[in-house]
Amino acid sequence: MAAIRWITISFSTLSGDPLTNEATPLLELRGITKHFPGVLALDGVSLALRGGEVHMLIGENGAGKSTLMKVLCGAYTADAGQILADGKPVQVRTAADARVLGVAVIFQEYSLVPHLSIAQNIYLGREPLNKLGLIDHARMRRDARAMLDRLGLDLDTRREMQGLGVAQQQMVEIAKALSQNARVLVLDEPTAALSERETHKLFEVIAGLKKQGVAMAYISHRMEEVFRLGDRVTVLRDGKHVATLRAGDATPDELVTMMVGRKVDMSYHRGDRPAPGACLLDVQDISAANSIRHVSLKVHAGEIVGLSGLVGSGRTEVARAIFGADALTSGRIRFDGQELRGSPTHARDLGMGLIPESRKQQGLALLRTVCDNLLLAGLGRLFPSRIYQPGKAHEEGRRRIQQLRIVTPGTRTATQSLSGGNQQKVVIGKWLVAGTRLFIFDEPTRGIDVGSKEEIFHLIDDLVHQGAAVLMISSELGEVVRVCDRAYVMKDRCVAGELLHDQLSEANLLRLAMHHG
Amino acid sequence: MDDALQLVASSRRWRWSLRLLHSISGAAWLLALLCLVFSLVTPDFLSGANLRNVLLQGTILLLLALPMTLIILTEGLDLSMGALLSLCTVVLAVVQIATGSILLGFSAALLAALVMGAANGALIAAFDLPPFVVTLGTLGAAQGLALVAAEGRTTMGVAQGLRWFWEGSLLGVAAPLWMAALVWVAIHMLLYHTRFGGRVFALGGNREALRFAGISVKWSLLWVYMLGGACVGLAALLMTARINGGHPTAAIGLEFDAIAAVAVGGTAFERGKGGLSGTVLGVLVVGVMRNGLNLLSMPSSVQVAAVGVVVIAALWVDAARGRS
Repeated sequence: MAAIRWITISFSTLSGDPLTNEATPLLELRGITKHFPGVLALDGVSLALRGGEVHMLIGENGAGKSTLMKVLCGAYTADAGQILADGKPVQVRTAADARVLGVAVIFQEYSLVPHLSIAQNIYLGREPLNKLGLIDHARMRRDARAMLDRLGLDLDTRREMQGLGVAQQQMVEIAKALSQNARVLVLDEPTAALSERETHKLFEVIAGLKKQGVAMAYISHRMEEVFRLGDRVTVLRDGKHVATLRAGDATPDELVTMMVGRKVDMSYHRGDRPAPGACLLDVQDISAANSIRHVSLKVHAGEIVGLSGLVGSGRTEVARAIFGADALTSGRIRFDGQELRGSPTHARDLGMGLIPESRKQQGLALLRTVCDNLLLAGLGRLFPSRIYQPGKAHEEGRRRIQQLRIVTPGTRTATQSLSGGNQQKVVIGKWLVAGTRLFIFDEPTRGIDVGSKEEIFHLIDDLVHQGAAVLMISSELGEVVRVCDRAYVMKDRCVAGELLHDQLSEANLLRLAMHHG
Repeated sequence: MDDALQLVASSRRWRWSLRLLHSISGAAWLLALLCLVFSLVTPDFLSGANLRNVLLQGTILLLLALPMTLIILTEGLDLSMGALLSLCTVVLAVVQIATGSILLGFSAALLAALVMGAANGALIAAFDLPPFVVTLGTLGAAQGLALVAAEGRTTMGVAQGLRWFWEGSLLGVAAPLWMAALVWVAIHMLLYHTRFGGRVFALGGNREALRFAGISVKWSLLWVYMLGGACVGLAALLMTARINGGHPTAAIGLEFDAIAAVAVGGTAFERGKGGLSGTVLGVLVVGVMRNGLNLLSMPSSVQVAAVGVVVIAALWVDAARGRS
C-alpha cells in the first residue's frame, strides 16, 4: 500500500520512551457511565491521556468511542464517573469548561459556519482584537495563514467556508483545533475525508505535537493508523472497556478479536430459506458524485443480502443511489431486467421499497393514522379508479395490521404513539401494500428494543419466504451474520469484498471493513 | 475574422468586464431597470426634488431593514417592527406633550422599543419558540397597545423643534440621512468588525459551532432582537418628526417592506447567507418602486402587490444565477 510511505515520519526522536511514561495523566476519565433512553452507551469506562502520547480508541460502530469523547469535551454530561485534570477532579459540563482545561476537539461532523471566512471560522469566539475592541482582521488572517501553512493548505484565508471541499473543510477544522494550543487534543476519525497527501501532513503535525507534550485521543477505524500513530490502544465494546494496551503488544488480529463478539439476545433463528430465485436487482459498476465509486452487487429473489461496513463507508449512499434518490455519474442498475431511470417514483413503480434509517423523518407521517401510513405508497394500486374509498382503505389497513401483528389500538391511531418496533412494521406494511418485491432496509433495528428486533427479523424472513428480495444495511455485525444469506462489505465508498454464507462471521466482516488481511 | 473575434473574446479587459457584469447582484440590475422604466414613463421621476424624496423616504425603511438583515441571518424574522414603530410614535408624542421634553419623549419611545425587542428575543431564545409566531404575537400586542394609548387617533401638538429631525439639515445633508448613515456605519462595524458579528453568521450557519466555541446561543439571539428594538426606537424619532405627531397605524405593514428589501438584497433565509450592502440596494429598490408607483398615482394596494412581485423576481434572478 502507498500508505507505507508514512513510516518515514520518525517518532524515535521523542524525549523519553512514551511507553514507560507513567506520569500523572493530563486528563483522566474514571468510571464514566452514560445512559440514553433504552441504551447504556457507556458503562464505567476509564481512560487516561498522558502528555506526549497518542492514545488510539477503537471499537465497532456503537461501541461508545464517540460518546466517550463527547463526555470529554463537554457535549454530553456523564451520569456517573469522574474527570480528573492533572490528578485533580474537575467538572466538565459545557464545551466552555473543556476549553478552560485545554481540550480541543477535531470533530467529524464539521463545526464550521458556511458564510464566514476561513480565518473567522478558525478564530470564532476568540477573534484577536485591536485597541478599540474591534476585530484585528489583519492579525487574524496572518495567524490563520500560519495555521494553514503548518498543514500545507494553500487556501486564501478570506474565502468563505461555503464552496470548500470536504477534505478542505476537515483541514480547516484541524487548523481550528490546533490554533487553540490545546494540552489535550481529541481527533475523531480525522482522516476519513482526507486524501493521502493531507493525511501525511496531519501525521507530521501529530508527531510535532507529541514532541511538545500534547496528549491526544485518536478514534480510528484504520488498523494501519493504530499501529503507525498509537502509543496505547484502548478497545471498547458495547460501551464497556475491554482492554488498554501498548500498541506494540497486540497484533491486528488480536485487536479485531477484542472488538467483536457483541452479546445479543437470540430468540430468532434462521429457518431454512428457499433456494434463491432469479436475479432481481443487478447493480453494475455504479458511481455517484462525491459518494460511492464503482459499486456492483446482485440481489436474487428469496435472498437476504447484507450491506455491511463502518459508519461513513458509503452504505446509505449505495441505497440512495439504487433507489434513484441520488444521480449516478456512471454505471447502471437493472431491476427484474428493466433499466432504472434514476427516479424514486420509477423505482417504486417497478417494485422497490426503501425503509430508511430515520423512519420518523423519512418513512412515516407521524401525526397521521396507522391506516393512512400503511396506504401511503399503495394508493394508486389500491384505488385504480383514483377515487378514495374509506371502507376499502379501512379494510386493507386492518388486514395488514393483522398480517404484520402491529400492536395498535386501532387503524385510526396516530402513528407517533406506537413503539419503535411497531412503527417499523408500519413502514414495512406501507411497502407491502405498494406491491414491493425488493426491500432495502437501512439499519432496520436502530432504536428498536431487543424483543421487537427479533420480531423484525422474523418479518424480514417472512418477506423472503413469500419471494421478495431483501438488501439489508446494518452496522451491527452480529445482525448481518445471523440474518443474511451473504453480504457485501463497504470500505472507503467501494465494495471491499463479498462474503458468502459459509464465510460470514463478525471477524471476517470487520477485517474487510478495516481492510487488513 | 474568426481569429479576430476570438482575440477580442479572450482579451483580459473583455473577460474582466464580463466578470464585473456577473458580480453585480440581482438587486442592482433591478434598481437600474426600475429607474430606467420610471424615468421613461414619468418625467418627474428624475427631478432632483423627487430623488431627494426617494432617499428621505428610504431612511426609515433602512433603519428597519438593517437590523432585519441581522435577524434574518440568524434564520429568524421580526414581524412586529411596523406595529412597534407605530406604538413608539404614539409613546414619543404622548410623553413629549406631557413633559415638554423631546429628549424624554425619545427616551420613552426608545425604552418601549428595547423592551419589546427584548421580549421578542427572550421568548425566542429562552423558550425556543419559532420567531415567526413570537413576533406575530408581539405585532398584535404592540398594535393593540398603540391603539389604546392613542385612543385610536393621531396624537397632535408635539413640539415644533421635533420637525428638525425630518426637515433640518447639517452641513448641507438632511438630518434623516445623517441618522441612516450613522446607523449603517454602526451596524456595519458591529457585523463585520466585532466578535458579535461572527456570532450572527454562526447563529444562522451553524449553532453547534457557537456552542463548541463556548458562546451562549440564547444571549446572542437576545442581543440581535434587542438591536432590532433599538433601531425601531431611532426610526420612531424620524417617523414622529415626519408626520408631526404620533399615529397608532403610522408604520403599519412596514415590516413587509423591510423583509422585502432584505430578500431583494440577497440575504437568504437559511444558513447565514447574505450581508448589509445588498440590503441598502434592496431598500432603494423598494423605495424606487413605491415612489414611481406613487408618481403614477397607483393606490397602495397595487404598490404592495408590486413589491411582492419584485421580491420574487429578485430571488428568482439570484437563484438562476446561483445555478449557472
